[in-house]
Amino acid sequence: MLAKYILRRVLASIPTFFGVTLVSYFLIWVTAGDIVPGVEINPYIKKEDIDRIRHNLGLDQPFWIQYLNWLGLPNLAAQLHLISGDWPKGILEGEFGRSLIDGSPVITHILDRLPNTLELTITAILLGVLIAIPLGVAGALRRGSKIDHALTALSVAGVAVPSFWLALMLILLFSVQFEQWHLPWLPSGGAYSAYQGGDFLDRVLHLIMPAIVLSFGYLAIWSRFGRSSMLEVLSQDYVRTARAKGMSERRVVYLHALRNALIPLVTLVGLELPSLVSGGAVVEIVFGWPGIGRFALDRAFGHDYTAVMGIVTFAALLVIAGNLLADILYAFLDPRIRYT
Amino acid sequence: MSGDADAEDKGFEQFEQFLDEWSRRDFLRNLGVGTAYLAFLAGGLEFLEACGGGSTTTTVNVKEGGHVVESSVSDLKNFNAVLTTDYTSDQMISMINDGLYTIDATGNLYPLLAKEKPQISSDNLTYTIPLRQGVKWSDGQDLTADDVVFTYQLMYDPQYAKVNSPRRGDLSKYVSSVTAKDKYTVVFTTKTVYAPFAISHMLYAILPKHVLGSLSPDDINTAPYNSAPTVSSGAFTFTKWDKGSQVTLTKNPKYYRGAPHLDSYIFKIGGASTQVLNQLKTGEIDVGFPGIGAIDPSQYDSAKSVDSINVYSYARLSFDFIAFQLDPAKPASKLFGDKTVRQAMVYALDRAAIAHALYFDQATVANTSMPPASWAYNKDNTPAYNFDKAKAQSMLDAAGWKAGSGGGTRQKDGVPFKFEMITNAGNKVRENLLVVLQQQWKDVGIDATPKYVDFNKVLVPAITDTRNFDMFMVGFIWNPDPDQSALWHSRNAVAGGFNGMQYKNPDMDKVLDDAVATLDQGKRKQLYFKMQQILAEDQPAPILTFPNGILGLNKRVQNWQYGTFIGRRVFMKDVFVTDGK
Amino acid sequence: MIDPNAVDVALPRKEYEGEAARPAQSYWNESWERLRSNPVGMGAGVVVLLMVAIALAAPLLSTYVTHHNPYSIDLSATFSMPSKAHWLGSDEAGRDTLTRLIYGAQVTLTVAFLAVAVSLVVGGTVGLVAGFYGGLVDNVLMRFVDVLLSIPAIYLLILLTILQPKIGPIVLSTSDPRSLAVIIAVVGWGGLSRLVRGEVLSVKNRDFMLAARSIGASDLRLISRHLLPNVLAVMIVAASLNVGAVIITESILDFIGLGIQPPTASWGNMLTNAQTYFYHSIWLVLLPGALIFITVLAMNVFGNALRDAFDPRLK
Repeated sequence: MLAKYILRRVLASIPTFFGVTLVSYFLIWVTAGDIVPGVEINPYIKKEDIDRIRHNLGLDQPFWIQYLNWLGLPNLAAQLHLISGDWPKGILEGEFGRSLIDGSPVITHILDRLPNTLELTITAILLGVLIAIPLGVAGALRRGSKIDHALTALSVAGVAVPSFWLALMLILLFSVQFEQWHLPWLPSGGAYSAYQGGDFLDRVLHLIMPAIVLSFGYLAIWSRFGRSSMLEVLSQDYVRTARAKGMSERRVVYLHALRNALIPLVTLVGLELPSLVSGGAVVEIVFGWPGIGRFALDRAFGHDYTAVMGIVTFAALLVIAGNLLADILYAFLDPRIRYT
Repeated sequence: MSGDADAEDKGFEQFEQFLDEWSRRDFLRNLGVGTAYLAFLAGGLEFLEACGGGSTTTTVNVKEGGHVVESSVSDLKNFNAVLTTDYTSDQMISMINDGLYTIDATGNLYPLLAKEKPQISSDNLTYTIPLRQGVKWSDGQDLTADDVVFTYQLMYDPQYAKVNSPRRGDLSKYVSSVTAKDKYTVVFTTKTVYAPFAISHMLYAILPKHVLGSLSPDDINTAPYNSAPTVSSGAFTFTKWDKGSQVTLTKNPKYYRGAPHLDSYIFKIGGASTQVLNQLKTGEIDVGFPGIGAIDPSQYDSAKSVDSINVYSYARLSFDFIAFQLDPAKPASKLFGDKTVRQAMVYALDRAAIAHALYFDQATVANTSMPPASWAYNKDNTPAYNFDKAKAQSMLDAAGWKAGSGGGTRQKDGVPFKFEMITNAGNKVRENLLVVLQQQWKDVGIDATPKYVDFNKVLVPAITDTRNFDMFMVGFIWNPDPDQSALWHSRNAVAGGFNGMQYKNPDMDKVLDDAVATLDQGKRKQLYFKMQQILAEDQPAPILTFPNGILGLNKRVQNWQYGTFIGRRVFMKDVFVTDGK
Repeated sequence: MIDPNAVDVALPRKEYEGEAARPAQSYWNESWERLRSNPVGMGAGVVVLLMVAIALAAPLLSTYVTHHNPYSIDLSATFSMPSKAHWLGSDEAGRDTLTRLIYGAQVTLTVAFLAVAVSLVVGGTVGLVAGFYGGLVDNVLMRFVDVLLSIPAIYLLILLTILQPKIGPIVLSTSDPRSLAVIIAVVGWGGLSRLVRGEVLSVKNRDFMLAARSIGASDLRLISRHLLPNVLAVMIVAASLNVGAVIITESILDFIGLGIQPPTASWGNMLTNAQTYFYHSIWLVLLPGALIFITVLAMNVFGNALRDAFDPRLK
């Protein structure tokens, strides 16, 4: 049964993948218009140059043809000897395309920056979990009290301000002001120091502020969820049984309740998969962090479609794969689901 | 430009001599003659400052070694000058690859890979350029005329049409051939006499033929060289490009003009533009350069008060202007067709207040379309169009535009003086500028509505293609050559051209054509004076301001030269850091 | 044997001696009672109402209270400190900050409430239909939602706002708060539909549904009169929490340069603009930020209070 379920889920993911790529390609294609990526419009560039470059890059063909080329179907068809001609490879063969701006492979750009983004988002998620759980649990244990209200307010305060504003305030305090007061100050730009930087401590220092700002976004939901999950578990029969058996409150909470309350949190963290790749975009901009989020924005504004398509496809693949894994994991843990 | 005993030329020779002396500085330093050094500098400084430029020098002796970190807000696109036109790439390329010439502070040619200024034939169509001999690429190969010819072929030769060069249209229009007469002589022939040819097209960084020559045109677009130029001729060599993070350059000790003092130069990519001043303050970066990672004019005052940095504000070639719809087929031309009306509208603008409030005093109110630092600039161009509300109102009255009863929008023959102004959204200064214009024109009875549109999708086509606008406001950057045909010549009024106003004045066309048909700088100067005169009369597109660029340097960075025309980083070999780190 | 007439098994007799038994209440009334007894939640609700009131009364306030127009510039009074002429100071073009904040409230809150309303309608409908009918309909709809949710929201938002799509004669451009609201709603309804669908799945097989179906109620009646009211609570809570999120989204879009364009004021674009002018006037940075903070915080606290009110188990 499990195998059948897995197969069904995988098959269901395929149309999702095509749907994502089609929608993304369409949006990007419509957005682009007559723009030549990478070349700034200035009075000294002639229209004939723009047209010629567009033709060279294949940008003057109709949407369907461009999409099919991007998929790589003509190339596959050619390899199966269904059609003739020399066709470029497409996504179906793993070719993520070449940037329209400098011709370099998009996948290189993505892989170059992926570690930086992951470094940031994973740290932020860890921070979020480490802070949210205690907050939520404490609120659950003292529900209705002033502390509970205060903790709730604290956790939602983190998402009540735009992240770029929070980032700016932190930079002004911990970077600029601390430096002026001759205190040890935190660097505000990039993932590592430009000159002779890059060692572990250097990277950690650069990571602190961006990760904190990013983690605030997760705090609110998770602490709230942790609280309600904990409350739900605390009202379960087995907890009452444990108490009745005479177990200390401490053991009841930490040994039984907490562990069970945390299981659904896994789903919640799983929901953040898309943001692993893209969520840090604003933080990356303000802190000059060399990540994928900012790269995607730059390329979107620079009308480099292949790069944006590559990134969106990559992110979508990650999300779909992640969801698939989560579904399978669930089916494994909870046999009832296999029959849905 | 050559063989002319004009004041400008004298100045040029003086500058040339001055720059030559720089490379002798090492010798002088070894003799310990700091004062002699100062004397050279004093002469040079005055000269530079007279042209709206300057240099950051102190009495501290030059130190070897060390690094400089510069902020770059946008990412580098490409190291191949043939394929790219954006400013950031251009500046980085200029540090690692030299071109035949560069431009000096007055806007004249200064030889780099070329040995001297071009010898021009009597019919003004052939440029013979002797190259410096013995210049080597960083891999030891000789840099010869073949490399030069190859580079230009990529841009104009039909066999290389698949190379995505945006310069092809311009170049192939003027270039008839580029050949190597011998190992160290390059000959350009042009199709017509075109004065701006050298300044416009002889600055490109030369590419190594032995690296790229064997590639097919298609492959050149995607060549690894474009993101890792391992063979170069300039003051610095390419070391590393950490995508999205930084570009690291290392000194080229065998640089033909003398080894740089700095050991390494780093461009820190991707910082937010609002953070430049913050990072200068903490010392995370040393340089904030206009056009790449500049300090915002609004932060000029607070930047000045920072102890650890020097701030310089200077005129550049960029300017902001508004353009009237002059095409008789379009409705707005009924409002703007009358020259007196346009003049009145300029009189109604308090541009000094605009420069003060919106540019925080970091801009020059423009009296002509010519950058003040140019040799073709007429500082006495009249009329000066100082703010004169009363005059504007009487001129409008005289033109038949009477204010409605109880003040209000002016009307003529039942048509209210009402129109829409467009500019691109997302540029704070421009957004506020339109609002200010709206207010100042409202004061004289003109109803102008600001509208903000997408730059690439709406504004650019409106200017170059559909011409669907009443008035647009935008900024441009002039080429170093004073030729302004791109905006004022009637042949650029067709689709694709930047004369979006559809300004057609045969007198202007003649002046512009004559001015590029002669290489005599004196004659050209007279013609450009005339051009400025015509523009002052016709006002097809009043220039509002020339905004300054604001350069921020950490105090430890010395010998940086800046100025309107200092486009390429020729001076970089002389830059040093006071702490040598 | 216990005499059912003699013993009140629901309530201890002693405590209610002489008093009528507490009347039965509907779910909604009970929830309202619970909400009312939550002072923090009610306080937050009042704050939100206050903001909405200010936003609605913007033209009145600007005419009679502040005597300023949000658009009129005054180059001689840029960056002024709070004073009699400008109660909260002025911005880089001399416009009155207080008036702009009031109009900004109108813009920002319009975007927020409208976006949430639209996504409620769309997401709610899709969720209800998918959950109720199941099978192929459910599959197709949820597949579509999957696609939507697989593309990171920020990319979609950027593409759509750059795109400025046309629907008939209406151009969705971000200079109009209503268009922006629609764009944000289009990107964001996915999560809501999944939530609603989940609720529907757990409710649709309950006894009352079976009963209604067995007496022959039509699909439409089943959905609207029986299913919807039971799912509504979840929808309301989600909606109230989303309002704050949309306010933040709007300001992030402004930061990127794609949201509401100046000179129209929104809290988000005032905040973004102020970043450069920080050294000139700290008020410009703090005030819009504070207002966003207060409003979003209030909205979130109120939303949490609603959730507690609707589901007492979690209190």
